[in-house]
Amino acid sequence: MTVELDRISKAFGPLTVLHELSLSVTPGEFMVLLGPSGCGKTTALRMIAGLESVTSGSISIDGRDVTDVAPKNRDIAMVFQSYALYPHMSVAENIAYPLKIRKLPRAEIDKQVRDVAAQVQLDALLGRFPRQLSGGQRQRVALARASVRRPAAFLMDEPLSNLDAKLRGHMRAELKHMHHQLGIATIYVTHDQIEAMTLGHRVAVLNQGRLQQIDTPHRIYDDPANIFVAGFVGSPPMNFVPGGLAEGRFKAAGGSLPVASRESRENVLLGLRPEDCRVAAASAPDCLAGTIYSIELIGDHVLVTCQLAGTAIVIKAEKTFSGEIGAAVGVQAAPGRCYLFDQQSGTRLR
Amino acid sequence: MSKAVRRTSLFEPRRYGELAPASKIAVYGLLALWSTVVLFPLYWVAITSFKLPIDVAYPPKYLPFIDYQPSLHAWRYIFVDLGNDTFRPYMNSVIVAPLSTLLALIIGSMAAYALSRIQYRPSLGSVVTFILLLAGVVLAVALAGIDWRIATLVAFVLFFFLLRALGSRFRRRLGNGDILFWIISQRILPPVVAAIPVYVMFQKLHMLDTHAALIATYATVNLPIVVWLMYDFFVAVPKDLEESAQLDGASRFRIFIGIVLPLAKPGLIATGLLVLILAWNEYLLALFLSTAKAQTIPLLVAAQNATRGPQWWYMSVLIIIMIAPVLVITITLQKYIAKGLLLGAVKG
Repeated sequence: MTVELDRISKAFGPLTVLHELSLSVTPGEFMVLLGPSGCGKTTALRMIAGLESVTSGSISIDGRDVTDVAPKNRDIAMVFQSYALYPHMSVAENIAYPLKIRKLPRAEIDKQVRDVAAQVQLDALLGRFPRQLSGGQRQRVALARASVRRPAAFLMDEPLSNLDAKLRGHMRAELKHMHHQLGIATIYVTHDQIEAMTLGHRVAVLNQGRLQQIDTPHRIYDDPANIFVAGFVGSPPMNFVPGGLAEGRFKAAGGSLPVASRESRENVLLGLRPEDCRVAAASAPDCLAGTIYSIELIGDHVLVTCQLAGTAIVIKAEKTFSGEIGAAVGVQAAPGRCYLFDQQSGTRLR
Repeated sequence: MSKAVRRTSLFEPRRYGELAPASKIAVYGLLALWSTVVLFPLYWVAITSFKLPIDVAYPPKYLPFIDYQPSLHAWRYIFVDLGNDTFRPYMNSVIVAPLSTLLALIIGSMAAYALSRIQYRPSLGSVVTFILLLAGVVLAVALAGIDWRIATLVAFVLFFFLLRALGSRFRRRLGNGDILFWIISQRILPPVVAAIPVYVMFQKLHMLDTHAALIATYATVNLPIVVWLMYDFFVAVPKDLEESAQLDGASRFRIFIGIVLPLAKPGLIATGLLVLILAWNEYLLALFLSTAKAQTIPLLVAAQNATRGPQWWYMSVLIIIMIAPVLVITITLQKYIAKGLLLGAVKG
């Protein structure tokens, strides 16, 4: 079922935390709202849930305008960052709660609870109380409670952020599998770009209450709309070098690189992903001159930080990379992998 | 070969998280002393209930069977000779105290929940208008002898008229904190100040010496305590749980009954116990509001200080049977005042 946001805004007094957000989640789609803390993504989610009022704009779910409909009548389920399990109820009672409120017959409730519990491997824990469960198990109870009644849409507010790194990776895979099985439209809020990239069919990047870009994870990464998206997505993040454009070349303090743009202008930022850079000899053509600042072995690759005319650039190099800190080198870019941005507005120059 | 040298000092604790020997002696000594101060009167009441009037006289007799020969005469008098005259006040207390507590808990916890979750912003102007009009009604009825029905009706019409006309000018607004403070301020006045108006009110209503009057009064008097205490417990219930329940489809009332109240159970029981004890022991208002039929047990205890002088032995028996149920209830309910009920709700 579809979820449509039509220019929704949210203001708390004079402070506007969300500016005219429009997006449309198609049936079965996994939509991720990605952004740094305070960007308005959780507010947007809570507005969809009905937990926050809408200052302007409208929300519709499955074609029905729900802008002023109470949360309980929106037919959506939400998984909270804190899981929000009812501590005085057992796992089975927690999962059964939405069905109990809908006054389903007991036998039916029991059957559905058992089915959904089996799906998330909770069958053995149905009699336990939330305080007797580990973080990952609590998370699964929250997922089971949300999915037991097949809602029109799932909302998830940073559901994995309370788990340790290893468990998070595991739960990510489980979430993806569960979504595949149920095929229910999901809106997922996170500040973790890895979660966004791995889970989302599409990712909406927000910053300071404004939508920056909405696209597939692929295109968010390969074709960022502006400097914010380019810098936020990717780890280690994209490097930015200030300089100017002239005669099809990007010119900076330490040298120049060929770029696709024919424009001629000042105040340009060159964006280079770490994996698109290469450390070359200082005398090589088409490179920016600098010195090696640090070398870090990550495991399957080496991160080389180069200092060039006041800007630090991180380069992802082969694990066989050898070099000396302080050595003079040149930084080359893979052809066609240079992103250009306007330094003032941050918009992409194409 | 290095054997740890253990220096034992009176002022060093053996282990972290333990008391030093000297502190232990001091702390337990003080505790023992205070326990004696608290428990001795109970002991004294217990042995006095088995004393003959002659044994109560000076010099004090401390040990039954040694200092004096215990007798059941006071117990026989209270239970057999007085019989119904003991039983009736006792039953009155058994009816009045729990029912008034229940009423105060129901109304008070709902009020506290509302105050903890809903933002009220009454304008100061409308509150002042209401109070002024109310005072006007009282004056009109009392001084000018106007029919109260007419006065109230006129006041109501005036109130809505004024609110419509001036409402938009009332800028100053009160918040939940003000409402809470107003509620607890009801307990600042000593009860005796309210006793006479309350007496007059029930007299006019022909409700003196009835259970209903006592129950209503006790519930009203204890309401602020319930609101004040339960407010804190409700605030401690994570909002996430309620929001989650909302999305699960529950109505606000259902959330209150099914989620919030069970989680605030320790607070509810502790508050209930406190209010029950206050109502059970209440003397002053009962003195005003009840004479014979609705007389409660504290009045009967006090009545033993009669023309013949204080009847310590009868009083002791009554005090014991008065304390007993409260003691039993407290010990029974204690295990429910367990902490950590919210554990596992929202923290990983």
